[in-house]
Amino acid sequence: MNMGGSDPVEGHTAKAFDAALSDLRLQIVSMGGLVIDQVSSAVRALLDGDAGLAELVRSREARINEMERSVDREAFRLIALHQPVAGDLRMVKAASRIIVELERAGDEAKKIAKFAARVATGEPQGPVLAVARFLRHMAELTTSMLRDAVRSLDESNEEMARAVRARDSELDDEFAAALRQIMTLAMQDARFLGATIDTVFALKGLERIGDHAKNIAEQVLFVSSGEDVRHKKKTVEAGTPEK
Amino acid sequence: MIETTSTRGTPESILRNEESARPGQPPAGAAAPRLNIAVDDTRQTKAITSVKAQVDNVNFYYGQNRALKNLSIPIADKQVTALIGPSGCGKSTFLRCFNRMHDLQPDTRYEGSITLHPDNINLIGPGIDPIEVRMRIGMVFQKPNPFPKTIFENVAYGLRLRGVRNRATLAEEVEKALRGAALWDEVKDRLQDSALALSGGQMQRLCIARALATTPEILLFDEPTSALDPIATAKIEELISTLRDQVTVLIVTHNMQQAARVSDYTAFMYLGELIEFDEAAKIFTNPSKKATEDYITGRYG
Repeated sequence: MNMGGSDPVEGHTAKAFDAALSDLRLQIVSMGGLVIDQVSSAVRALLDGDAGLAELVRSREARINEMERSVDREAFRLIALHQPVAGDLRMVKAASRIIVELERAGDEAKKIAKFAARVATGEPQGPVLAVARFLRHMAELTTSMLRDAVRSLDESNEEMARAVRARDSELDDEFAAALRQIMTLAMQDARFLGATIDTVFALKGLERIGDHAKNIAEQVLFVSSGEDVRHKKKTVEAGTPEK
Repeated sequence: MIETTSTRGTPESILRNEESARPGQPPAGAAAPRLNIAVDDTRQTKAITSVKAQVDNVNFYYGQNRALKNLSIPIADKQVTALIGPSGCGKSTFLRCFNRMHDLQPDTRYEGSITLHPDNINLIGPGIDPIEVRMRIGMVFQKPNPFPKTIFENVAYGLRLRGVRNRATLAEEVEKALRGAALWDEVKDRLQDSALALSGGQMQRLCIARALATTPEILLFDEPTSALDPIATAKIEELISTLRDQVTVLIVTHNMQQAARVSDYTAFMYLGELIEFDEAAKIFTNPSKKATEDYITGRYG
């Protein structure tokens, strides 16, 4: 029997379906790339007080929204025309979900960029600089989680997806530590309360981006194994069914 | 994936008949045919609570050619079981074992057993009268094949064969069967017209009515809609869904979406072997075997 290859989106007798599925995946990967760049640019703009970079992030938000709509249209069309089942169906369903996560991650980056623009035009930067180390580290963590989440989809890499899930708690710890630091600062000096609150939002935004990366990784696990791991403790997670 | 379990709580129908029909068997309630399909905790389990027929190690030979290889599956009572697989995989051959259609061909041989519950007779066992089997197990074919008689006579035929002579009873039973096949409203005013004047979809429903008239326990469908247009197909599919209340249905189909739409359980066959059997919802969202996945997602060829 002529079986399909190892690539989960290829090997269909209907080549048009192959092409449509792999195009869908490609669109998600490029959307992911843009979102990752948005996150790192927004944090850099905030730390450097770079108004131009902040503006660039804000201007690219529309492109992310358009990509979301485009993937969603394509997924909808695939369901109508090809009636995908089994792994193909899981892929299309997950695609629809993953782009929502990416779009929300993009939203968080945009909010950080807005704050960066305000800092560049006069809002006190003190609180930002006080947790600069955390902001930088959390940005690195979230972007690498997003990158691996999207890569795990592209390469159908279950191990990588599981690792992304596991790293989310590291990010949560960083967030808690950053909060402690900034609270100490706020108690010592109440002059920058507005900027302090904005900084907390920026930290919280990064923490949320990590959640979105984790959600993407969970969708990847759903595609590869049919296993729904959402809201499950990592330790009680069941093994993957035999293939 | 499938495991047989003995349970104390047994379906009443089976219990009742085991007591009456199987004196030599273990006491009723000790080991009733009940199957569970084990799935992980996140998914809804639809266990087969009552088995209409149990297929055990069935082999079938056309001369020296072994067309079916050690097939074993439960057929759930009053549920729809679909058989899917590429051409030549043996699904029609398997279906035809149930009503002994192969007996009409020389040099064929059955092995194993298809145990029909509740009376536990082996449909393919020696000493079982195929005519008797066909009385209990009806069949609907790919192409509608009404007799060149009136609509009424087509449906009444099986009843007459069984010795029903009373005109009022015949009329009543014919109406009931035609209603059951969702055809009554369309033909009630022309019961004496030739069945051959009906449309393809109507003819197929007439054949279903003809099969229903003798109140079969299992109804076999061999690609019943492959010669019909989408509307007639939808009507037959809807009909199959409603038939589930009164009869156990076994259907062979080449149309994957049809299997997904109408069946409760789906069996995937390849080269005479059973590859996977599970709930239809499981087969079409997350099959356990790669071969099943490749087939239903269109990766053969």
